[in-house]
Amino acid sequence: MSAGAIGAAVSRRWLALGSSQRFLIVTAPVTLFLLLFLVVPLLSIFVVSLWRTESYRLIVDWNLQNYHDVLTEASYRTFLLRSVLSALIVSVASVLLAWPVAYFVIRHGGRYKLLLVLCLAVPFLTGIVLRVIALQGVLGPIGLLNLGLMKLGVPPVQALMYTKTATIVGLVYLYLPFVITAIYLSLLNFDFKLVEAAKVFGAGNVRAFFAVTWPLNWIGTVVGFTLTFIPSLASSITPRFLGGADGTLYGMAMGSQFSATGTWSLGAAMGAVLFVVSGIAIFTISRLVNLRRSGFTGAGSRE
Amino acid sequence: MTGRFLVRSVPKLALALFPALAYVFLYVPILHIAVASFSRDILWPYPVRFTLDAYMALFRSTIYQEALSNSLLLAFGTAVLSTLLATLAVFGLMKYRSPWKGWVLFLFVSPLFVADVLLGISTLILNGLFLDIPGNLVSAILANTVRAFTYALLIVATQMFRYNWLLNDAAMVCGAGQVRTFFEITLPIIWPSLLGAFIVTFILSFNNLDISYYSLGAVPTMPAVAWGSLRFGIKPELYAITVLVNAAVLLCLLVMFLLMKSETVRFGYRAGRDT
Repeated sequence: MSAGAIGAAVSRRWLALGSSQRFLIVTAPVTLFLLLFLVVPLLSIFVVSLWRTESYRLIVDWNLQNYHDVLTEASYRTFLLRSVLSALIVSVASVLLAWPVAYFVIRHGGRYKLLLVLCLAVPFLTGIVLRVIALQGVLGPIGLLNLGLMKLGVPPVQALMYTKTATIVGLVYLYLPFVITAIYLSLLNFDFKLVEAAKVFGAGNVRAFFAVTWPLNWIGTVVGFTLTFIPSLASSITPRFLGGADGTLYGMAMGSQFSATGTWSLGAAMGAVLFVVSGIAIFTISRLVNLRRSGFTGAGSRE
Repeated sequence: MTGRFLVRSVPKLALALFPALAYVFLYVPILHIAVASFSRDILWPYPVRFTLDAYMALFRSTIYQEALSNSLLLAFGTAVLSTLLATLAVFGLMKYRSPWKGWVLFLFVSPLFVADVLLGISTLILNGLFLDIPGNLVSAILANTVRAFTYALLIVATQMFRYNWLLNDAAMVCGAGQVRTFFEITLPIIWPSLLGAFIVTFILSFNNLDISYYSLGAVPTMPAVAWGSLRFGIKPELYAITVLVNAAVLLCLLVMFLLMKSETVRFGYRAGRDT
């Protein structure tokens, strides 16, 4: 059979398939890829978390000891609670800062809209390590801010030297561009005529914002919040460098199980707990979203 | 007249303070590093006493050269793979109807909600314990692609959302096959978004530490080497790298901006383009 004939046969077979079958075939490579390199590795975390580590060697011995350790040992509980709390503060602060920025760019950005948004992407794309280096140059004990204050004869700001506050400032610095972009994209697809309509019916600026703009762009807020919360919860590099001695966060303690102490199964249990906590957070947040009410039309509904 | 002007413009100016502060907050650290990297005194570089010592030290270091080529390879592999997968995914999602679509879409965006550290650790566990594969560049590319794929998906989807599928039907009525239709009709229209996805995923995976750190083992990459030396304090070379990477990213985005400005390329949604 010639290549052309095979091609024709394949083509005929393809046309005989239903839309759903074609969909599954076209997306199969992607589905397979994610199953192999996302789902299977995550499952392996759960398996290993039920085993035991002894002097850097893993022993197959099904038990729940690791989970018991993670959930009862005071230090891990503190790290987890501290991580949840800082992630909450970081996400709320980022959303509150991002809204006026995104709103201004949309309403008054004019022809510079695109440039203003692309400029936000630069710090986001340069990665965690380089941004921590840059931040340390300004906020660190011998950074721009503190040296400047000392030159002026003012005592340095203790709050920014290896403290939990420094970690939070660092995390907001890392994820703020992301939240601004999420809210910006939501506002970009938002019809501001609706606000005008509300004003015609007598609503003031503030009321129009909270009754129309805010609820109809809830999806942008929620996506931005979630995309900040999840990585902040797991952050390990930022607190290690900015957080100081009493600023250990959960992700940092988890990472050290794999590098410093070699207790892989305990680390895996910590990973599993982190995964579950993130899952609960996402589930809770998603309950707050009613896609249709929040004006989301991106799913391609054809009604 | 002036009273009215004030009432109208004061809220706008107050609002303008936020973006101004945001840009200062985001860019002052980067600008400070940039000035410091050219100065003899990296801690307090004002006024600047110009020197290229930091860059010389960086270019002399063999460790950084090896790390750079690894990072470039990793970023290139990830960008190619994630752009390909994302194009296929968006194509499938937008062209066909299926009751499975919701589940498949859920799987496709789920990497966005799994933290980098978890992705890195899970790859380390699977490779190291179950498959007995030491850290290597291929595993790192695959693990980074899981993350980068979703970003590429979102970028390509914003463009394809407005794609007119009737063009494909027209081509096929005229006798073109599926493959030919893709290369001669679809690709020439959507290539800018593929380029955008490629650039963004390239930069993201180049700078990634959490995923690469665990999946690479002893293979050094740029962020890993920077992170390693950061633990022993700030060195001039670190400032030099930060500046060079920032400049490269800025340049990439500038090129994208100029392409968009000249209307050669259109990214994303344009109101009223085809309604």
